[in-house]
Amino acid sequence: MMLAVVGGGIMAQDGGGTVVSAISMVSGDLLTIDPAQAEASSQIEVINQIFIGLTNQDVVTAETGLGIATGFTAEPQDDGTVVYTFTLQEGIPWVRYNADSGAVEQLTDADGNPMVVTAQDVVYGMLRSLNPETASPYSYVLVPYIVGAAEFNAGTGAADAVGVVAVDDLTVQITAPDAASFAPAIYGLWMSRPQPQAIIEEFGDVWTEPENIATNGPFALKEWAHDESITMIRNPFWPGSDSIPQAQLEEVTLRFLDTPQQFAEYQAGTLDAIQVPADQLAFVQADPTLSAEYVTGGNPCTYYVGFDNTEGPSANAHFRRALSMSIDRQAIIDNILQGGQEAAGFFTYPGLNAAPQQEDFPDAAIHYDTAAAQAEFALALEELGAASAADLGQLSYVFNDTATHTAIAQAIQQMWSETLGLEVILEARESTGYFAGLSEDAPTIYRAGWCQDYSDANNFLYDVFFSASSQNDTGFVNADYDALVAEARVEGDTAVRVDLYSQAEQILVNEQAAIAPIYFYNLQLLVKPNVERAPSVTGNEAYYLWSRSS
Amino acid sequence: MAVAEQPSTTGNVAKIEKKIQGESLWSDSWRRLRRNRLALMGGIIIIGAVLIAIFASLIAPFPYDKQTLSDANSAPMWVINLFPTMKAQGEPGGYVKVSDLYFLGADNLGRDLFSRIIYGSRISLAVAFIGPLFSIVVGMIVGLIAGYTGGKTDNLLMRAVDLMYAFPTTLFVILLLAIFRGGASEAPQGSFIYTMSLIDRQMGGLLFVFIGIGLTSWMGMARLVRGQVLSVREKEYIEAAKSLGARNRSVVVRHIMPNILGPIIIAETLTIPTYISYEAFLSFIGLGVNPPTPSWGSMISEGAQRITSYPNQALFPAMALFLVMFAFNFLGDGLRDALDPRMRGSD
Amino acid sequence: MAKFIFRRILWMILVLFLVSVITFGMMHAVPGGPFSREKPLPAATVALLNAKYHLDEPLFVQYLYYVGDIVVPRITLERTPPSQSENYLIDIDLPDIFGEEAHFKWVNFGPTYTSRSRTVNDIFRENLPNSVQLGIAALCVSLAIGMPLGVFTALKRNTRWDYAGMSVAIIGVSVPVIISAPLMQYLFGVQWKILPVTGWGTPAHVILPAFALGFVNSALIARLTRASLLQVLNEDFIRTARAKGLAERRVISLHALKNSLIPVVTILGPLAAALLTGTFVVETVFSVPGMGRYFITSIRARDYPVIMGTVLLYAAVLIIANLVVDLIYAWIDPRIRYD
Repeated sequence: MMLAVVGGGIMAQDGGGTVVSAISMVSGDLLTIDPAQAEASSQIEVINQIFIGLTNQDVVTAETGLGIATGFTAEPQDDGTVVYTFTLQEGIPWVRYNADSGAVEQLTDADGNPMVVTAQDVVYGMLRSLNPETASPYSYVLVPYIVGAAEFNAGTGAADAVGVVAVDDLTVQITAPDAASFAPAIYGLWMSRPQPQAIIEEFGDVWTEPENIATNGPFALKEWAHDESITMIRNPFWPGSDSIPQAQLEEVTLRFLDTPQQFAEYQAGTLDAIQVPADQLAFVQADPTLSAEYVTGGNPCTYYVGFDNTEGPSANAHFRRALSMSIDRQAIIDNILQGGQEAAGFFTYPGLNAAPQQEDFPDAAIHYDTAAAQAEFALALEELGAASAADLGQLSYVFNDTATHTAIAQAIQQMWSETLGLEVILEARESTGYFAGLSEDAPTIYRAGWCQDYSDANNFLYDVFFSASSQNDTGFVNADYDALVAEARVEGDTAVRVDLYSQAEQILVNEQAAIAPIYFYNLQLLVKPNVERAPSVTGNEAYYLWSRSS
Repeated sequence: MAVAEQPSTTGNVAKIEKKIQGESLWSDSWRRLRRNRLALMGGIIIIGAVLIAIFASLIAPFPYDKQTLSDANSAPMWVINLFPTMKAQGEPGGYVKVSDLYFLGADNLGRDLFSRIIYGSRISLAVAFIGPLFSIVVGMIVGLIAGYTGGKTDNLLMRAVDLMYAFPTTLFVILLLAIFRGGASEAPQGSFIYTMSLIDRQMGGLLFVFIGIGLTSWMGMARLVRGQVLSVREKEYIEAAKSLGARNRSVVVRHIMPNILGPIIIAETLTIPTYISYEAFLSFIGLGVNPPTPSWGSMISEGAQRITSYPNQALFPAMALFLVMFAFNFLGDGLRDALDPRMRGSD
Repeated sequence: MAKFIFRRILWMILVLFLVSVITFGMMHAVPGGPFSREKPLPAATVALLNAKYHLDEPLFVQYLYYVGDIVVPRITLERTPPSQSENYLIDIDLPDIFGEEAHFKWVNFGPTYTSRSRTVNDIFRENLPNSVQLGIAALCVSLAIGMPLGVFTALKRNTRWDYAGMSVAIIGVSVPVIISAPLMQYLFGVQWKILPVTGWGTPAHVILPAFALGFVNSALIARLTRASLLQVLNEDFIRTARAKGLAERRVISLHALKNSLIPVVTILGPLAAALLTGTFVVETVFSVPGMGRYFITSIRARDYPVIMGTVLLYAAVLIIANLVVDLIYAWIDPRIRYD
């Protein structure tokens, strides 16, 4: 099948209005920009500009707004399921950039009709992500929110039995198995977005190349220089929607650079927006010019120290509490990280929906307290039948070998030594082997982190530490905790949920101290003064909200 | 990927006869070496560095792992003034904490840079000596067997050397490090991998750095030794020893080895700098020594990340490294000139 | 001569085979797989991905798959949608008598697991040329600085000039690229803004990485040139030439220099292999989209086909470079004969 192109594309204006950014990018190539295949933030950043789904998280407020849907209804059924009915905006075209004409063009199907985003595209997209043959790394996030998805994804059920159907061209109906209030947010995540079936079937694995792709968002893909950069161009056919207006920038180029190179390029004046390398933060914040261009933004991730809750000294709750309470989180932030991060007394990132705030529940959170730590450690030694820390055997703190992890590990090592008299060996492992080892058999004490998939506390407390979760490397099992997070999951009232989650946190980080949360991430950025960045709190940039003067 | 200097095997063949004269030759060489002021200086620097490494705990003002987080990245005034990119807190745009407590400044965890450089000499010098040791032992055994036995064995061994050459050695080292270091958690207690990684951990992650460097370095030596043996093998004094009924082993140990030692020492001294910088490269790709053990390589590769804002953290250890490499280079050149006078073109 | 080259090519095939077997075994012994993530993928997903790339088969079957895809040519009669497993280095559209969509396909180095759309062949096509360009530039820098410096110091041996020249050379080897590359980048790119900081594509982009790489090796070449020139100057034929009354300049340029090249040429083999297949540090610091990064990152990512591809590439380039070096020997020194 051939796809023709409707004439009359709009010429790109060259000159002003372009931004070169490297925020969230790293060196090397992007794994993919296929919504069904994406997994890392750099890939998702690109997808967020060129593919838009039913709902969309507003990066400024972190609220879930509408994407290509104009509205939806949720009707609870007698059997406990909930039926969501989404109505799509009419006439959002599938587009592609034409390198010959230098313009973004609307695509047509075999009969010459313009291709527009339909309910069928949404259904196809979800089913393709769920299809076991696609092996989508994020299908597991969508699976619990559509009936029949688990069976289809596991290869035991049929696609027909999955509860997502196109009622007509503009109506998508999704049946969710339970009343999780945040399900609409999941229906807007990248793996749930509409995908162009005809294009994917024609071009196979290389459908995401600029000359093949079809996109529907405020930007279109212009160029993908593998290992170097990706360039997106304004899509003049994007009609604008609830939370996503038409883009103001003409072009956005994202360069694949690590932060030291980003910083050098920024200083040379060839990049407009970058992430500041940790080692330069003191310099940047003191420099009269750079400090004016310095901004921080949210980044919903938590850094924590994990313990093996099932064996060794770390199976003892007093031991874990002692270790957690002897970590001076603020000292790590002030002297090593230097980016104004927030010390974590909870596991859940505070900016998420229904997340309990440390200041509202000070007694539930864990705090740095050397006296209490020493008391806990004495109890631990007693219960473990050891006379001193030396009797506990040789303990290692295992981490993957990046510069920041190494620095934090050394600081923590000294804190444990000074407060508890506990000497641990530091063991740096190469990342891939380290991650593989974590899920197989977690080391006694190890470094870990968790970032949001969707903006709800459920993504942290239920998805990671519910006893049956595949992400639960610690082996932490607690019936009270499980009951709390399971109840909060389907509770409708946010205030009640916050309270339930605070109780769950109290068990997780304080009473049981299954993990020791260290700090909540943030983004440290430099943006040129003539570039107007949308102040994102979600860790994702929305370039369609950016603008540039001169 | 630096390429180790390959000593030419085609060149210095048949220049060995002189050395039968034994002692007079060595004293002759010693006299020549003493006259070479640069080489002598190199030797003194190396001896000094070795002494510093041995007595590190007496010389260093602080333990190498003593952190004072509030002093992180601080530096004394003279260091700040030395580097044009550094600005002391208090000046406009100044960001470097001023602290006179640390002679060369403190690193990102508030540890004394000077003490860490002193302790770091232990690892860098260990690399400088153990690398060649491995290379000499393995290379010499392979080269001697190949050269002395000749025939099929020779062919087979030399083809094995060729094969090793064809590997990108970095890749080989990384794979090896990943297997042992990463495999520790999964390997059952008592197994080979487990034991190896246990030893490695107790050595601060050094074992595999050594093995890695050793594995990549013996092939050139094997070729050199073989070439030398081939040229000495047919000499009259070897024939004489054989006809007197000396056994193979004693011929090799008593007669061949002493006669090929000169070129080997020269070649090794000249490749020592590559071992030292290889350790820095391994640190750069995250496979160096385990923290908090300091090594010049790991200090340099970590410091390179902040080379514009805190140049002292990379450049001072780099200067230490540079000084030692400089010393080994001049000593190596001096040794060559002394042991092999014809190379100088002075007779 | 032809027989010699033929024998070396046979030897190359044997080496490539052995290298591939050893690497294959070692890389699968490293813990962790291509789909190990900080956020672990569900076991079912990993199983599916493993099946997609044949990683669930026994090792020797995987090896056969791998070698088969490279060695065995195939002819397809129907159109195959472009996919990661259908990317061949040699892909010829056959005449229509075989059918409209008939293609002859050969040499497939397999997919890369760090991309869902690219293959090792793509990396060879797009990244290898960049590394080769940078490698040649760096080699030129090394020779342009190293050879004259070596000759100069040899002629001025044991003078102040000699010591100064050799000190410069030793500084070259002693400062690790890890330091010199970011320093050069800062000075020329950020401070003086006369050269691009990172990236690739214009001649200006080549200068900094080529010099960063070239300096290290120029020192090596300078020392080798000096040493071997000194040695050659003492050989009988040079004395003869001098005795015949030839001008010193002519002696040096005509006779000595050519003969002193042998050790220098010897190291050019491995040097060329290292430079042409890319260098990790320089490519990282200057963000050059070359091959060198893949040597390191492929192991980190357990990207098996890329590990194999880079190792085989390096081995092949090294052997070919050494073959060329041997042929150059024969040209320099007619006494050397291969049979």
